[in-house]
Amino acid sequence: MSISRPRRSRLATIAALVAASVLVAGCNAVDLLRPPAAVTAQGHEISRLYDIVLAIAAVVFVLVEGLIVFAVVRYRRKPSDSSLPPQIHGNNVLEVVWTVIPTLLVAVMFLLSFESLNKVDAVANTTDVRIRAVAAQFQWTFQYLAPDGQTVLFEQLAPEMAVPVSRTVHLSLRSKDVIHAFYVPQFLFKRDVVPGRENVFEFNVDAADAGQTFSGQCAELCGVYHDTMLFKVHALSPEAYDAWLQEQIAAARATPPPAASAAPGQTQIDLTAKNIAYDKTSLEAPAGQPFSIKFQNDDPAVSHNVAIRDAGGQEIFRGEIFPGIDARTYPIPALAAGTYSFSCTVHSNMTGTLTVK
Amino acid sequence: MATTALTPAYAGRRAGLYDWLTTTDHKKIGILYLLNSFVLFFVGGMFALVVRLELAQPGLQFLKEAAYNQAFTIHASLMIFLFIIPILAGFGNYIVPLMIGAPDMAFPRINALSFWMLPLAALLMLSGFLTDGGAAAAGWTSYSPLAQAKYSGVGTDLWIVAVLLIGTSSILGAVNFLVTIFKMRAPGMTMFRLPIMVWTMLVTSLLVLLATPVLASALIMLFIDRNYGGHFFDPATGGNAILWQNVFWFYSHPAVYIMILPAMGIISEVLPVFSRKPLFGYKAFVFATAGIGALGFSVWAHHMFTTGAVYLPFFSFMTFLIAIPTGVKMFNWIATMFRGQLTFSTPLLFALGFLTMFLIGGINGAFSAAVPVDFALHDTYWVVAHLHYVLFGGSVFGVFAGLYYWFPKMFGRMLNETLGKIHFVLMFVGFNLTFFPMHILGLEGMPRRIANYAPGQADWTALNLLATIGGFTIALSMLPFLWNVLVSLRSGPLAGDDPWEGNTLEWATSSPPPPYNFDHLPEIRSERPVFDVRHGLGKGRTH
Amino acid sequence: MALQSTTAVASHTGTTGHAREGGISNVILGMILFITSEVMFFAGLFAAYFNVRATAPGGWPPAEFVGKLHVFPLVGVATTLLIISSVTCQMGVWGIRRGDHTALVRSIGITVVLGAIFLVMQATDYLALYGDGVRLDAGTFGTTYYTLTGFHGAHVLAGVLMLSVVLYRSMAGQFSKEHHDMVEAVSIYWHFVDVVWIVLFSTLYLIPNPA
Repeated sequence: MSISRPRRSRLATIAALVAASVLVAGCNAVDLLRPPAAVTAQGHEISRLYDIVLAIAAVVFVLVEGLIVFAVVRYRRKPSDSSLPPQIHGNNVLEVVWTVIPTLLVAVMFLLSFESLNKVDAVANTTDVRIRAVAAQFQWTFQYLAPDGQTVLFEQLAPEMAVPVSRTVHLSLRSKDVIHAFYVPQFLFKRDVVPGRENVFEFNVDAADAGQTFSGQCAELCGVYHDTMLFKVHALSPEAYDAWLQEQIAAARATPPPAASAAPGQTQIDLTAKNIAYDKTSLEAPAGQPFSIKFQNDDPAVSHNVAIRDAGGQEIFRGEIFPGIDARTYPIPALAAGTYSFSCTVHSNMTGTLTVK
Repeated sequence: MATTALTPAYAGRRAGLYDWLTTTDHKKIGILYLLNSFVLFFVGGMFALVVRLELAQPGLQFLKEAAYNQAFTIHASLMIFLFIIPILAGFGNYIVPLMIGAPDMAFPRINALSFWMLPLAALLMLSGFLTDGGAAAAGWTSYSPLAQAKYSGVGTDLWIVAVLLIGTSSILGAVNFLVTIFKMRAPGMTMFRLPIMVWTMLVTSLLVLLATPVLASALIMLFIDRNYGGHFFDPATGGNAILWQNVFWFYSHPAVYIMILPAMGIISEVLPVFSRKPLFGYKAFVFATAGIGALGFSVWAHHMFTTGAVYLPFFSFMTFLIAIPTGVKMFNWIATMFRGQLTFSTPLLFALGFLTMFLIGGINGAFSAAVPVDFALHDTYWVVAHLHYVLFGGSVFGVFAGLYYWFPKMFGRMLNETLGKIHFVLMFVGFNLTFFPMHILGLEGMPRRIANYAPGQADWTALNLLATIGGFTIALSMLPFLWNVLVSLRSGPLAGDDPWEGNTLEWATSSPPPPYNFDHLPEIRSERPVFDVRHGLGKGRTH
Repeated sequence: MALQSTTAVASHTGTTGHAREGGISNVILGMILFITSEVMFFAGLFAAYFNVRATAPGGWPPAEFVGKLHVFPLVGVATTLLIISSVTCQMGVWGIRRGDHTALVRSIGITVVLGAIFLVMQATDYLALYGDGVRLDAGTFGTTYYTLTGFHGAHVLAGVLMLSVVLYRSMAGQFSKEHHDMVEAVSIYWHFVDVVWIVLFSTLYLIPNPA
């Protein structure tokens, strides 16, 4: 061959170095380039498919990029190159080969993804766990439906959805205004919430994940405060779920307690929400005695409330969630001196500090 | 008298500016396209930096959400509609008539009209910032109902009118290119001797001709909805929100090929010249280009897999098919370099950058073609990574390859190689630093288009900071580039007619070419007429 | 083929176009391509129309618009006039192809008048419909009706203006048997406008409700 011996060994060294670095980088990259561990049966299916695609992609990348790097290293113009290189216009065999191989590859990927899609998208519609996520600018609520799929047993105003593990959950999506998207990264799944149509999908949370909480968020630009449309999914054991559901239904049927009004002489703190933000980020209250927060919600049709957590993150008070423009007076029980945080249950980015002394 | 003595000088200067404002010379119009596009590239880049700055840390540091949404909307709209699409049309404008041995475009005055619509459109779009509600903020996709009057202000109307103007400019440009290519080729320049750049402009123009009017109809319907009480796209009044997406993507997916095909054309000119070999598999490349163009019309709904409103297997299948002609092109480019003699001048470096980045952009696109995987990745930062690997790593690297390659032809002077290489390295490193971490962000669940994220989220903070550092590295890479252009325009070494030993007809005339381009044309016996003349291969050879 | 281009010295400086032998002229090809894009524009509008028509909850037309669109007296006559105008336009083209200036001026003149009458009739019809409650903002029915017919009307107006320029230039004697690309191009445009109307008219007035 025309390649002289020293050059060939240098080439071999470079090739070995490139291969080694690709291998090392590849091993680390594989972990980074995989989705989070799935928590639903459908998510596992997607994860499996993802891994196959990733493997094919990695092989294709290493091969093609290897060819590029090889060409760059091997065929640089040398001072001795005075005559033209061979003027090759093409090679039919080669061109057929590199058309047919990708064709087979994409055919395989299509068939695999088609098969997987049928599993992920399957809606048996036989489950009793029926929930409707209702999206609006800028909040999620969750309606728990009777087995008929229509009657609303109760509506969860906080953006927190409880679901049983090991049982199929039938989730329908409804929008009150613009397009939103229901997205839970650990489900490896999202579905658009489109006004004028009701999208439906089903999922089964793994039994092992009972007690876990997964965060979700709107994934389709829905207006100014799109970034605030967060929600949580609590996975409960089937028994805990049933108990929780009965409790919530009972609470919804009970007559609401009379609106509390501030007792005379009690400290009252004013707080206003506007543009998905509180007007104050720090509040002060007296220690050891009940007080009240007069909360004004100035965001039309957007729901807010005030919830208080202690330094350990434990929620010790949750005020009623209500849409603006409206006001409520929240009676707060006596608190020990210390620093607490307050936040909106619907919009977890709305926070502030409550100092009790 | 003094006044009369001064007159000629003044008249001369005014004639210079006046000449640029009224020119119908395709070369001057081409340069105007490039200038206008680069100005808007820098404006769009500023918006990108603002976005990256805000995302560098969790919390809202610099912008409120409302301003953030305007920033990314205008960033995307400028980059897509007023940078990539027009700058590639600008290269086409400058180079297509030269490459086919024509004196000008077929309709020089319509050509000037096409250009002058663009600065006007840019002003209209940006003037949204002066209105009460601010500029358009519904994303460059302007999904209804978010883009309806109920949810967004006058900025969106200005955006609609601006994009309509740009669309009209594109359509007129496409008619011009097609007639030029079909009717004005020099004797001997048969269709299968056309440089690949011309072929890609031809297919691109067909895509513009067939797709852009559909966008125009969608924009007009949206405008009617917003201003005259129409009911096309708002479900609250009997319309259909998904209809907008169908009509919008019917244009906007082919638009992706409008944005990448000419860049592929540039690469296909640069690689052979700097490898001293012909393009490997010319005809296969032409058919692959046409194939991508044709398939481009049957994959629009792969942007809508999560809407629950499209037939998934069909669009998934067609999307996978696109990989085949794209793969053919990739192998053709690599085979062109094999057994060649590569000279690593700046144009080739950018072409190699294109190959690598576009390879990644193609591969990470295949993930989304697998519908269930797309359920996970859609509307996350993965998609942001994918589209930037294609449109920045692909198209923009292609644009710079073209600029370094044809600058000597346009201005008669060489760009500085050292500065060019610094530019390339900074941009290549900055690009990957910005966009590679976005794959991981997307997998970890960070949605697009959010101004804020919670501090506790895994490694979102670190990855976002990395991306921001990368973004500023890209910005930094523009300094050596700008300095290079400014200095070289005045004092770069003279280029001569054919500094790169080019293949195509533009290298057979002076740099810059005279009005009407050619005093005489060489014989055209292959797709490389200038190569043939240089190596005495012109006679008796058929291809 | 191999020897067709022995010495290609450009003698075309100062003109645009190589005037390649045979084939259609730049202007006519440009017009045909432009019309292609116009077809796609109307395709977008029609797609929207059929979409809302197919998904209308109570069938099409919606109950409150049943029987509101009348083919007679105005629309049917206007349609006939537009079809006749296509014929007269073509007679103008045939005329100039023979070098008959009188035929050109007369035919194009008639075409312009017919086009203008069509526009007047459409405006009259709009007024009547508006009085009858068919408004642009009256549901998807009104929106699609006025958008489709309105954009067609705008194209008729553009056609009438172009034909007027052709008329002016023919009266100034600027066309000849050999050089009349503009006449050909504008007539193609006019036929296109006519065809769009026939499709539009059939869609809006004639296709029965499938339900």
